[in-house]
Amino acid sequence: MKHQKWFVLASVVLVASVLLGACGPAPTPTAAPTQAPATQAPAATQAPAAAPTAAATTAASNPDTIIIGTTDKVASLDSADAYAIRDWEVLYNISEGLIRWVPGTTNLEPGLATDLGTISPDGLTYTFTLKDGIKFGDGTPLTATVYAAQLNRLLTIGPKCPNDVADSLAVPYVQSITAPDDKTIVFKLKSKIAFFPQILAGAPYVASDPNIFKADACNLFPTAPIYGVGPWYVSQYNPDEQMVFEPNPYYTGDMKPQVKQVIVRFFSDPNTMALAVQSGEIDVAWRLLSPDQLTQLKNVSSLKIGTINGGRIQFLVLNHTMKPFDDPNVDKAIASAIDRNAIADTVYGGQVSPLYSQVPPGFLGASQSFDTMYSAPNLDQAKKYLEASGYSATNPLKIEMWYPPEHYGASTAAWMQVIKTQLEATGEIQVTLQAQEWSTYVPALTGGKAYGAGVLGWFFDYPDPSNYLDPFVYNRGEGTNVTIPATGSDTGTPINDKAKQLVALLQQADTETDQTKRAELYKQAQDIYADLVVTVPIFFSAEHVVYQNYISGMSSIASPDTLNIGPNILFNYSVLSKKSQ
Amino acid sequence: MSPIAIIALIIGIPSLLLLAYVFVRGSTGLRRYILTRIVLTLPMIFILATMVFFILRILPGDPVSSALGPKGTPEMIQSIRTQLGLNDPLIVQYGRFLWSMVTLRFGNSLVGGHRPIVDEMSERFPATLELIVPASILALLVGVYGGALAAAKRKRALDFSLRIYSVVIYSLPIFWFGLVLQLFFGVRLRWLPISGRIDAVIGTSLKTITNIYSLDALLTGNWPAFFSVLQHLILPTLTLGLILSGVFVRMTRINVIETMQADYIAAARARGIRERVLIYGHALKNAMIPVITLIGLQVAILLAGAVLTETVFSWPGMGSYLVERISARDYTAVQSVITVFAMLVALISLAVDVIYSLVDPRVRY
Repeated sequence: MKHQKWFVLASVVLVASVLLGACGPAPTPTAAPTQAPATQAPAATQAPAAAPTAAATTAASNPDTIIIGTTDKVASLDSADAYAIRDWEVLYNISEGLIRWVPGTTNLEPGLATDLGTISPDGLTYTFTLKDGIKFGDGTPLTATVYAAQLNRLLTIGPKCPNDVADSLAVPYVQSITAPDDKTIVFKLKSKIAFFPQILAGAPYVASDPNIFKADACNLFPTAPIYGVGPWYVSQYNPDEQMVFEPNPYYTGDMKPQVKQVIVRFFSDPNTMALAVQSGEIDVAWRLLSPDQLTQLKNVSSLKIGTINGGRIQFLVLNHTMKPFDDPNVDKAIASAIDRNAIADTVYGGQVSPLYSQVPPGFLGASQSFDTMYSAPNLDQAKKYLEASGYSATNPLKIEMWYPPEHYGASTAAWMQVIKTQLEATGEIQVTLQAQEWSTYVPALTGGKAYGAGVLGWFFDYPDPSNYLDPFVYNRGEGTNVTIPATGSDTGTPINDKAKQLVALLQQADTETDQTKRAELYKQAQDIYADLVVTVPIFFSAEHVVYQNYISGMSSIASPDTLNIGPNILFNYSVLSKKSQ
Repeated sequence: MSPIAIIALIIGIPSLLLLAYVFVRGSTGLRRYILTRIVLTLPMIFILATMVFFILRILPGDPVSSALGPKGTPEMIQSIRTQLGLNDPLIVQYGRFLWSMVTLRFGNSLVGGHRPIVDEMSERFPATLELIVPASILALLVGVYGGALAAAKRKRALDFSLRIYSVVIYSLPIFWFGLVLQLFFGVRLRWLPISGRIDAVIGTSLKTITNIYSLDALLTGNWPAFFSVLQHLILPTLTLGLILSGVFVRMTRINVIETMQADYIAAARARGIRERVLIYGHALKNAMIPVITLIGLQVAILLAGAVLTETVFSWPGMGSYLVERISARDYTAVQSVITVFAMLVALISLAVDVIYSLVDPRVRY
């Protein structure tokens, strides 16, 4: 009997816990975050918000708090180092740069600067004037001297920080950053580049707090509170669990928060995140749900799905110095045989779109060069190319194609299988698919010495065609090998005349400031790119944000249906509001 | 003091006191046995850590290339590898690794924020502890009581049902079982949360001391947080605990049935002692000896099960940490976690052996 009693007691405790959760009274919303008066700095360590009086199981019951779920991880919160999408999203929300993206678009507008700046006639000097009265969340005023000193961290300690954004987005372009007075900031560039404003609008150039981010050290994970000059500050951060944002009391800009708190919850599994938004545990699920999960969530009436036509592309890299891909006929045969629509329909159920240029639609000068040139799928044309190089049904072309089975999702194996079937449908190609785990795969493919062909994905650092073309052409081109790195050359030595022509066009476009002329240059470059088959673009995919019906973005600015997330997938939390339930 | 140090003290002080008690009161044989086990544990951990260190380096893949992806230039990769000491000779890296193990500092992570492993473990280990302790208790409660019940009702419907339960539950994939519970209790009924350790909003009010949220909530008198933690624990605990209970049901049932055939049970039965008292008062106690051994053996399985449970429930513990870091080739994190797991299994195994001697006075070392 004694044992039975204990068992019954344990069962009662278990059931009681369930009932407490299920039947408990509605929770009291958290107290408003401590708002410092405009003249008084908030306490260095923020007191926690008052505890609700009962357990809550749904996000809907907290009218002043919006909970965003994500599977992205934070790798660094130091703007001189951060180079991941999640990191940049945090930086964009807690701070701002001299110029910024208009929410929902890839257009630029003044941010901390009074205007978009003045450019010297030689295109090497950019001068900006700071707006008045800008302060960090801890009350420290932002002067041009402070800002320039913080930006110089990119050039001094940035290259020594582990994520090393500086070597990609600062050091190659910027010679110096100075502040001749407390209102003026001057950038001197190493060479003229047309897309410098796009780079400048990036997260590495936001204002960072000198009290948190010191001049001589990277500070990847400062202790909360973490302040910037943006609409929010990070009031709490539990790595791998959640990050809490509260309104910056000193923010004077036009993107004031609509709610008192935003909590970003980190999920290790996208499937759990999909269930969490379905059960109402979170208000918004933002990146990265699979096509299957999205299909399932489309049937849930309490949810909305916003589709952002972003710039995420997938393509095949062909190594132009490795047999048999050093033969232009082989490359063209592959480009002719692939049916992109079949991949989009059969593998992704129409949730991705066929891509006919390395530059996705919507970007400056984007063309359909691969479609114009190869009209794929065109098996007869593919056979002609193959036969021109001596291949036939009895002497088929034998190729190996590599892919990472997990990094771009489980669907990669499926669409590589479709490509194999399509290429083998010519009757003159035999494909062997090889899978390799990501950490081994990347250096083997992009090193340009181990794999002849493989899959790669790309998302831009700044929304400009140069960021889709230059990396695959210059200096070994991520394994395409259309140029070979050479001392004293910024681009590497082109392997043939067409590659030389392509490099020249891209260099010209990089410095051309007239957008019409620039678009024309990129169109020409894309034609040569397709003729060379530098890569084989396959598809571009949209990003999806799933949110509860009671959540909305700002109707007065672009893309309210996607919570004002535009093609640069910048999620500004200030646009979010929550209807009371 | 870091949360992991506080936990080490909470667990370590009573364990040391118990060990001291057993050492003082136990026989010479037991004392010698405990000392031998402790001495043998050290080379065992050393060999395991060494194996993990070299296996990780033999495996293809590089943490820096993996983290930077296609945007990492060869120069950037080499520069970061040098900063992280990955270009040092292997023997230098091995020496550094051994020293970090001896000092229990474990070094810094090679990916993400490159944070100290001790800090990351301080956040993750308490979460795993908070999951596996109630899961073990549930597995034991259901397993031992179910097994005894099956033995008491031998060859009746309840016995058959419990035997089928034990086989079926043990063979269920954890991720599938967890998903079913999430769909039913979380999505359909909306009774229980399906992810995380605490409600996101309530979590902002919890002051952490040990990072064992239930304990922290109790220590700070934060009752909404305490109940929220309990709620969040239910589904992961049920998933892990029920699956592990299967093997305990079978083990307890067999041992109780065997014990029931012993002479002293027949004698007791002849004295008119009721069947229920015989089973739960006499047979079950004696049948527990092999079950205690099984508990020690199940620790490793429990930790492996926690890996899957944590992933399914987005539970930020050591298991999900290990999965993330293996795929990122984070050598220092992986070797540290495996070493800590090995230490845990070795210590619990030692504790089980000591408890064994306390429970059964016949056991002599």
